[in-house]
Amino acid sequence: MPHQCTNCGRTFADGSKEMLSGCPDCGGNKFQFAPTTAATADTSDGASDTEAADAESTESGSVTSRATETVRDWITKDDDPMDGRNRQSPDPAVQSAPDGSSAAVESERSWPSNGGADTTEADGETDEQFAEWPETARRPENRTDTQTETIDESGDSERSHQRSDEPTTTLADNESSAQADARSEVISAGDLPTHTDGATVSDPRHGVDADEPTDATAGDDRPPEHGRVVSEPSGDRPSIDDLREELNKQFESIKIVRPGQYELNLMELYNREEYIISLQEDGRYVIDVPDSWRDGGDSDE
Amino acid sequence: MGLFTELKDSISRVTDRLFSEQEPKRIGIYGPPNAGKTTLANRIARDWTGDAIGAESHIPHETRRARRKENVDIERNGKTVTIDIVDTPGVTTKVDYEEFTDELDEEDAIRRSREATEGVAEAMHWLREDVDGVIYVLDSAEDPITQVNTMLIGIIESRDLPVLIFANKTDLDDSSVKRIEDAFPQHTTVPLSAKEGDNMDEVYDKIAEYFG
Repeated sequence: MPHQCTNCGRTFADGSKEMLSGCPDCGGNKFQFAPTTAATADTSDGASDTEAADAESTESGSVTSRATETVRDWITKDDDPMDGRNRQSPDPAVQSAPDGSSAAVESERSWPSNGGADTTEADGETDEQFAEWPETARRPENRTDTQTETIDESGDSERSHQRSDEPTTTLADNESSAQADARSEVISAGDLPTHTDGATVSDPRHGVDADEPTDATAGDDRPPEHGRVVSEPSGDRPSIDDLREELNKQFESIKIVRPGQYELNLMELYNREEYIISLQEDGRYVIDVPDSWRDGGDSDE
Repeated sequence: MGLFTELKDSISRVTDRLFSEQEPKRIGIYGPPNAGKTTLANRIARDWTGDAIGAESHIPHETRRARRKENVDIERNGKTVTIDIVDTPGVTTKVDYEEFTDELDEEDAIRRSREATEGVAEAMHWLREDVDGVIYVLDSAEDPITQVNTMLIGIIESRDLPVLIFANKTDLDDSSVKRIEDAFPQHTTVPLSAKEGDNMDEVYDKIAEYFG
C-alpha cells in the first residue's frame, strides 16, 4: 500500500485511481508515497547521487538502492518532518540487525495510526512547506551529507534485513499486512517504469531529457566534506558514465536542486497518470484533485 | 463572484451542454514562459466574451495555474464555433528563482519558482488528460528550436491533437516568422501580435478551421 492520505491515514494500492478525486474518507488531497522501489526515490537520489558521482565517484552503484532505503527510513520513521531528524539519529551503538529491525518495524506499524496526529501538520503545509521540511530536503549539499549520515546511523539496520532473505522472512511475521504488501511489491513490481536494476527499460527520452539538468547539477559547488563518508569497496564499481546514465533513467518528474531551483522531466510529468506535485523528498507529495480545478472559480475570474 | 451567480452559471453551463450538439472543444494554449500565452488568451476572451482570463506580466511564469474560459463563441462566416480556452503555465525544464530576484525579493522569487514548477506539472498533466486541441504560442523573436518546444510539439503530434503554431510578438524588431515556419514545417504557423491585436482575423479564421 504505497500511497497514504496524510490527513486520515487511509492507504491506497499502487496504481489506485480512488484517490485521484481526493481521499474518499476525508476528502484530503495530500498523499504520501512510501517508495517500494528506487523509482520513488528518484527525485532525491538524482541530485545528490549525481554530485557524488561527479565529485569523487567514491560511491558505488549500490548508492541508489541505499538512498532508496534511506528515503524509506525517512518515510517509515518520519511521522513528523519536524521530529524526523531527531528520530533519524538513534544511538549509533544500536547497529545489530535484530534490534534495528524491530525498531524499524515498530515505527512502521505505528505510522498509519499516527496519521491522524499528522493532520495538523499536513493541513498547515502550503506556502510554508519549506520551513517544515526536514533539513535533508533543503539543500543538495546538505542532503548528500545527511544522507551519508543517515545511511551510517539508521540505514544499516534497514539495509541489512533488506539485503538478505532470512531476516526479511522473520520480519514479515511482525509486519502489518500493509507493510508486508508493500514489501512484497519490492520484489514483484516489474511493471514499474524505473528500477534500481540497470538492465531495465532503456528509454532514449529519459536520456535526452535528463541529460542537461544532470550536468548542470554536477556543476554545483560542493561544500567542504564534513561528517562521515561511506566508502564502498570498489570491486564492481560502475563507470561514472554508467552511473550517470542510470541516474538519468531514474530522474523522475521534478528534481529539487534547492528551494526555488527545480529541474523538470517533462516526459515523466506527461507520462504520469495522476497529477503529482512532488516537491518534497521525504516521500510526501500533493496530488491535484481534478474536480477542484474543474469546478473552481479560476475560469470565472 | 457570488455563490448564487456561480451556481446559476454552472447550471446554465450544464443546460448549455445538454442542449448543444457537442461539447465545446477544449483548446490548450501552450508554449514556453513569456511567449505571450496569457496575452493571447486575454485577447481572445476579451474579443468574444468581454472578460479577461488572467494577469499578464513581463516577468516569466506569471501564470502558474491553468486558467480556463468556457464557452467562447467565435463567429466566422456566419457560423459560430464554441471552444473552451485553457491558458496554461509556461513549460520549461528548469525553473530558477534567481531569474526573478531582480524584480522580486528572494522569498517571493522562491515562491514564484515553486509555483511555476507546480504549474509546469499541471500543464503537462492537462496536456495528457484534458485538451482536444493545442494553440502553441512562440515568441517569434526567440529561437524556436529548443528542447521544450521540440518535446511538446512531439507529444502533441503523438496524440494526434490538432495544433496551430502562433508566431507571436510580430511587433518586435527581432521577430522572424520564417524561423518558426522553418522549424516546424509540418504545421500551420500563424503570425500575430496578441499585444497589438495584429492579424487577429487570420487567427480566428484558423481557430475556427482547426478547432470548429
